[in-house]
Amino acid sequence: MSSHREAPEISKDPVADSTDVYAFVSPDHPDTVTIISNYIPLEGPAGGPNFFEFGDDVLYSLYIDNDGDAKPDITYQFQFTTQVQNANTFLYNTGPIGSLDDPNWNRRQFYSVSRTDRKNSTTMLSDNLPSPPCNIGPRSTPSYAGLAAAAVRDLASGETVFAGQRNDGFFVDLGSIFDLGDIRPLQNLHLIPTPMTASVDTLSTFNVHTIAIRVPISMLTKDGSVPTDPLSGKAVLGIWAGASRRKVRMTEGPLHSGAGPWVQVSRLGNPLFNEVIVPMARKDEWNASDPVDDNDFAAYVRQPELGKLLPVLYPGVFPHLAGLTASRDDLVAILLTGLPSGIVPGFQNYTGPTLADVLRLNVAINPSSTPNALGILGGDLAGFPNGRRVFDDVVSIELKAIAGATYPLVNASYTPDGAVAAVNGYVTPGAGRYQSAFPYLGLPHDGFSTPSP
Amino acid sequence: MSKLSRRSFLKGAGVATGAAIIGASPLSAAAESEQAPELVANPSQLPKEPLVAYVRDAQKAEVTLLVGTDEVTYRDPALTKRLLRTARPRKHGAGEVA
Repeated sequence: MSSHREAPEISKDPVADSTDVYAFVSPDHPDTVTIISNYIPLEGPAGGPNFFEFGDDVLYSLYIDNDGDAKPDITYQFQFTTQVQNANTFLYNTGPIGSLDDPNWNRRQFYSVSRTDRKNSTTMLSDNLPSPPCNIGPRSTPSYAGLAAAAVRDLASGETVFAGQRNDGFFVDLGSIFDLGDIRPLQNLHLIPTPMTASVDTLSTFNVHTIAIRVPISMLTKDGSVPTDPLSGKAVLGIWAGASRRKVRMTEGPLHSGAGPWVQVSRLGNPLFNEVIVPMARKDEWNASDPVDDNDFAAYVRQPELGKLLPVLYPGVFPHLAGLTASRDDLVAILLTGLPSGIVPGFQNYTGPTLADVLRLNVAINPSSTPNALGILGGDLAGFPNGRRVFDDVVSIELKAIAGATYPLVNASYTPDGAVAAVNGYVTPGAGRYQSAFPYLGLPHDGFSTPSP
Repeated sequence: MSKLSRRSFLKGAGVATGAAIIGASPLSAAAESEQAPELVANPSQLPKEPLVAYVRDAQKAEVTLLVGTDEVTYRDPALTKRLLRTARPRKHGAGEVA
């Protein structure tokens, strides 16, 4: 599910498990880019008394490559510190939390933000920034929107940041897809058929912990410009996230210590890459590796396992896909190099021949006034795989692509199977999932009323 | 990093130099001698940033040091031998974790 619990080791370490990464030109501030990385998959909103929080012993990183070499030129890093106000209570809060410094709020997190440039020079941008509490319910967090808004902070260096709980904007029919690849609109045609039923938005009641930063475009491009020509190479940014832990962790009673270098345990660029493309035996290795080395995994993109499974799971439904044995250069372009000029009129997000799983955002493409959740497949150049917006239907897009919808981009004689059209936004996210202002993901569900009593 | 000496590495990391240290404070010169190690009944509190040393490969006498966010591996037969000798199984006593 995008990247929730996508690899064996990281599934045991939720606070370091990056679930989704988003990168898009901010619709309400089009001179900026917003980058979001979510952590802690499947947060049940009622999960107290020790409600969810970031890991104090995790280094959270956002990487930006602005010269196409798949190596970070700019890195933003976030580190958290937890403070307990009252050591004599088991309670997260001892009364309603009315503000970010309310004495009723017992367990709080603060964080620092630093920026490292290509010369490995690091600047601490700010520290002691407050993360809002989790959304507990009407007695504990009666005015949650105000608490969350107070945690959005403008930094003197020009960025805007937020780190805290939000609802999970990712939508997918999880129970179906993991049941031997069932795609509910086609389930009556599955090898093990079941009667048609409505699709389920499995994550509609779950929260995540979000790290979001909005950065002026001029602070991200190589030459400090704000590109206006979509066909210019300097208009494209490569973006991904990583989470790291110290190499050694020591525990003695209630004390914990770390030693040694930070070791990456989670990374994420394109949704579903590690989850659906990389074989299980190599998923942990992939998480520990860097995009610049993704040539090691390119074979799984050229011949994706799911592309071979679909014709087997749905006998007779994907005959053209069954006969497609050539290298899937369309998927290589979408996931590993970006689309070069000449494929989609007026668009490119090509970063060069280095194969790397990163989101590629062309910042010269303006935000769409009439966005289509199918992104470029839906004729909306501002959506995935041009970066990724919070509401992009990446499951449908990638399923359609793997099923052959994008192969005509590299071989015009190929005709996608008719069933590909059925994989078209078959899950619709509910209201309140997103908001129009930073950090764009909607307020977290509260534990009292989710699921509804 | 491999071109650095152990002494310069530790110095650069802000740690007093000495022989192998496992989650401990700087050793005195006496600890570098061959005298038998002394069990500590009540060890000091776990430090926030311990210096960690471990034998990576006993056959090759490789010892890895973790100091701050740095890591370096040395080939040090004497240190490896001393650590292995100290780590030999014995009857559990004061200062040891069963």
